[in-house]
Amino acid sequence: MKNSLLFGLIATALGISLLVSLSLGRYEIDLGSLTQLLLWKVFNIGTAPHDVSLLSNIVFDIRLPRILAVILVGAALSVSGGAFQAMFVNPLVSPGILGVLAGASFGAALGIMISNSWFGVQLFSFTFGFVAVLVALGVAKIYGSSGSKTILLVLGGVISSSFFSALLSVVKYVADPYNKLPTIVYWLMGSFSAVDMKTVSSVAIPLFVSTVMLSLMGKYLNVLSLGDEDAKALGIRVAWVRNSAILLATLLSTLTVVVAGMIGWVGLIIPHIARFMVGADNRVLLPMCALLGATFLIIVDTLCRTSMSIEIPIGIATSLIGIPIFVLALRNAKKGFA
Amino acid sequence: MSFYSAENLYFSYNSTPILQGVDLHIAEGSIVSLLGPNGTGKSTLMKLFLGLLSPKSGEVILKGKPLQSYSMRERALHVSYVPQSTQVAFAFCALDIVIMGRIAFESWFQKPSKTDMDLARTAMDRLGILHLEKRTFQTLSGGEKQLVLIARSLAQGAKILVMDEPVSGLDYGNQLRLLETIMKLSKEGYTFLKSTHFPEHALMLGGYTYALKDGHILAHGLTCKTITEELINELYHTKIELKQTACGYPVCIPSFVQTKA
Repeated sequence: MKNSLLFGLIATALGISLLVSLSLGRYEIDLGSLTQLLLWKVFNIGTAPHDVSLLSNIVFDIRLPRILAVILVGAALSVSGGAFQAMFVNPLVSPGILGVLAGASFGAALGIMISNSWFGVQLFSFTFGFVAVLVALGVAKIYGSSGSKTILLVLGGVISSSFFSALLSVVKYVADPYNKLPTIVYWLMGSFSAVDMKTVSSVAIPLFVSTVMLSLMGKYLNVLSLGDEDAKALGIRVAWVRNSAILLATLLSTLTVVVAGMIGWVGLIIPHIARFMVGADNRVLLPMCALLGATFLIIVDTLCRTSMSIEIPIGIATSLIGIPIFVLALRNAKKGFA
Repeated sequence: MSFYSAENLYFSYNSTPILQGVDLHIAEGSIVSLLGPNGTGKSTLMKLFLGLLSPKSGEVILKGKPLQSYSMRERALHVSYVPQSTQVAFAFCALDIVIMGRIAFESWFQKPSKTDMDLARTAMDRLGILHLEKRTFQTLSGGEKQLVLIARSLAQGAKILVMDEPVSGLDYGNQLRLLETIMKLSKEGYTFLKSTHFPEHALMLGGYTYALKDGHILAHGLTCKTITEELINELYHTKIELKQTACGYPVCIPSFVQTKA
């Protein structure tokens, strides 16, 4: 019962942050007009507010796509981080463990360098996110017959991450320093400012479906944490479960890079906070990660776009906010995880 | 039709042979003890019986069909595994662990059903550990942990339990209580394949014993007939004397105790 209360609480917080975020910005809309607009537009109740076309342009065309993207990305990063921490039975694991973020960043940088369309950049980013994970799995597979599977996966991920980080440096080095390099650097800091309805509508369904599916894998990840042999003896197809989790988490992580570039720390700290709240049972933990991650990222993104006259790249903000939280969370991680 | 047996099993890790031509037959409802020195292939043999490893040649037969023809899930219906120790990284409560025995029979989206919960609780109740259901697994004693893992096997519904050194790390009282539990379950129709380092424990449980050395079966048969002074000497290079107590129950007395006396 304590858990359903917490879920209710965080869901309410998510709803409130959503409304507040919709109302804040360069053109502030008071909550009264916003409610009136939402009721009228969405539910056909009441009357149209004053300035209806201006308000609905700001709310539905500019802010809503961005906020939807923030919600999806926050949930996706947190769930894939939580799932990987469960799978590797290690509290220091983040979504990038198998090299997906390094690969997707390299892909995006390469795309920016050689392609002129935004779609091209996104396609490169998506493709290389998967390529990097395949490299990690391939390295693990070479020595797959002996030793612990997860250790080999971690090593494969380290190798793949380093490799694609090196390639990223190559791209940065050779990219046109006046035109292309700033774009690459800015992209790597992460931002939702370029998100429009087209991007959101193309990634929303895969992001949402994968987040839900990965959240529902908690009970299998629980069993997997007992070790491969135990899980197999219980009748679980271990390789199938592990590969599905990796596939879903990879899809989620690459899509976050496609939408918003590199956003660090969310996938590492949110699972810790969620674990502190609801415990380590992945059946409860992963859905909580999704809710909490979405709420956290809305708050951070709203701060990023409203606190200063220029927008703060969200990747910088999540790191600056995330690190102190992580230091606090480590105290609990010591007892809560083991 | 053989109930559960291995025929002419060969197994090797890379090129090191582990098992060479092992035959082992388990009758329904019996207790089979595996004896043998460290590193002799007992655990490997049990993993082959569980289908966690595949033999290089020969096969394991379960209820008349090759084990290979069973899916993981089907096999889990018949055979369950009680590992020597389970490392539990997350703070699961005992009931969470027991309910994991039902995992293969739930679908992706399903929560454990009322029936699954009942099966798990009943299993814990049968072993007298229902009062531990809310306790965190790591905080339980070694004996309690073993009972929780056995309860998981019962919840799984399998009638054959494969146990890897079930008493290792338990204190004397818990060792005896665990053996008593095995005995009780065997009378209820459960079948056991277990490895042990204690010939005394095999003698206590009766049933059948297979002595394994260097990947070969050295001796097998009814436990009371198989375990002899010569066999123990050959397996472990140590001298003991088997003495019958007044009620006819054999006990092992190490020779160094006798020389002292």
